Amino acid sequence: MSTDTDRIEDALRNIQIAKRVRLLFSIVVLVLFAWFFTNALSEVGFSIGEIVEYWPEFTDALGDFFPPGTLFGVIPFVDVSQYWAFIQERNLLLQFQDGNPVLGAVFVTFAMGFAGTVLGIPGALILGVLGSERVTPYPFNFIFRGTMSVIRAIPALVWALIYIPLGGVSPFTATLAIGTDTMGNLGRLFTDALEEVEDGPIEAIESTGANSPQKVVFGMLSQVFTPFIAWTMYILEINVRIGVTMGLIGGGGLGQVLQTQRGLFRYTNMMATILVIFMLVVSVEFVSQRVRSYIRGNEEGTSLLKLIVEFPQRMARSIWE
Amino acid sequence: MSTIEVTNLSKSYGDVTALDDVSFTIPDGEFVVVLGQSGAGKSTLLRCLNGITRPTSGSITIDDANVMGPRNDVAMIFQQHYILGQMSAYSNALTGALGRTSFLGSLLGMYDGDDKQEALRALETVGLLDEANQRAGKMSGGQQQRVGIARALVQNPNLLLADEPVASLDPASAETVMRYIRDAADERDLTTIASLHQVNIAREFGERFIGMKDGQIVFDGYREDFNVDVIDRIYGDIETEAIREEQTDEPPENNAAATSGARSHEY
Repeated sequence: MSTDTDRIEDALRNIQIAKRVRLLFSIVVLVLFAWFFTNALSEVGFSIGEIVEYWPEFTDALGDFFPPGTLFGVIPFVDVSQYWAFIQERNLLLQFQDGNPVLGAVFVTFAMGFAGTVLGIPGALILGVLGSERVTPYPFNFIFRGTMSVIRAIPALVWALIYIPLGGVSPFTATLAIGTDTMGNLGRLFTDALEEVEDGPIEAIESTGANSPQKVVFGMLSQVFTPFIAWTMYILEINVRIGVTMGLIGGGGLGQVLQTQRGLFRYTNMMATILVIFMLVVSVEFVSQRVRSYIRGNEEGTSLLKLIVEFPQRMARSIWE
Repeated sequence: MSTIEVTNLSKSYGDVTALDDVSFTIPDGEFVVVLGQSGAGKSTLLRCLNGITRPTSGSITIDDANVMGPRNDVAMIFQQHYILGQMSAYSNALTGALGRTSFLGSLLGMYDGDDKQEALRALETVGLLDEANQRAGKMSGGQQQRVGIARALVQNPNLLLADEPVASLDPASAETVMRYIRDAADERDLTTIASLHQVNIAREFGERFIGMKDGQIVFDGYREDFNVDVIDRIYGDIETEAIREEQTDEPPENNAAATSGARSHEY
């Protein structure tokens, strides 16, 4: 009887010790975390004082971003006509001169994303397929994987800077950069898709007496056809967003308009441009997601509302990705 | 249409012996059913016959030619059918002709005209001609397995192997699929080796039976010798009580006919 009680008390003591150790560990982690965070803040020069000091200026700018006006002459609302005037003036969308369409900046941006994606696909296919361990035997596949890693380690914006001697500061250079970026990113996604291929169908194709290239194409690639299309559409979305940011360094299109207007402190015009960017990116995503859900067999695609709500986050991501 | 000779075949994976000194001869055109528990070595035996798996020792000859690797004239039907869900039933059947088509030709879909006809004939054999253009991934389990049979038939095999072809199907689909396999084998006079789990299906379709246990052959004989004692020897004393009772009540032939009545439910 007494030994039982002893054992229970022992167990209790052990649990308490374990708990204290855990608590101590948590505190150490928390202190370390706080230390890193404060250091990070001081490193970037974060200051509440600055925010307070410049707050009036920011609210002034907000007034420019959203010029006050009225809707139907009564309801207070943003003065949309000022946006529209700028969109027309700089031809952000589409204009007609003597009945001929003149494509606006939005088409330049889309063209960069689209052409860049298409240019990158062959390279992505080659690198992606050869990078898979199931196609190229183990140490050698890392030649291709490594190539893709190097490409991905350099952001698209930096690729554009690298290509400037080749094509100048132009949409052409931006397209080359997007194409290069696509080779790395899409290729990596292809490799990953290939890793998840099932062995069975490959073996079945092998059992028919097929040769190795036939095994790769019919046994493996035919299994990942749908994911490949889906990933390509996904990369197209990202590339259109990158196309916007390319403009910020002078790559043309909507991004460049945005950059120019920022330099002129014309915040109303900036917001008009942002609205067009918003429209472009959401349209591309909407179409892409419909296509993806269609080829995946009519799964429910993301709703338009969700696309709009999550827009700022994705836009931000495309700058550093 | 071929004679298979297996001599002292052994296969081990590390310490595990999957096949232990297996020998048998199968003459032309026989329909052989291999029975045994999971892990008895059925799959390994079939994979060795197909050439996907290399045996540790012993030899397999098909019409006096040694099996060195996968060949176009030895066709295999897999338990999980392993067809390509993204492609149509027709394209799947055509992959059976890959072994006699050049890489570029197969890539561009430039198969021989005869092969295309062959693919459609095979789909007709398994009752899927009207579904030829359907995406295989959208078909039912039974239909997918039949596409797998069609692919095997397009290989124009001399030897048809089926590795538990109906193990993942419901009883009704299992009957249908087995019937298609046997009809195809009869029609083309194919030597067929099928491994099966279900004793009742084996009894219905088999001509000759090979029973395996722990990688060894514990029974090799024809219909008349395949009785409950043999089943006990293969599987141990499980599951056979009901069959033993049935057998004392009525002859097994009637029993088999009763089971096949379930077939009409599927399509």
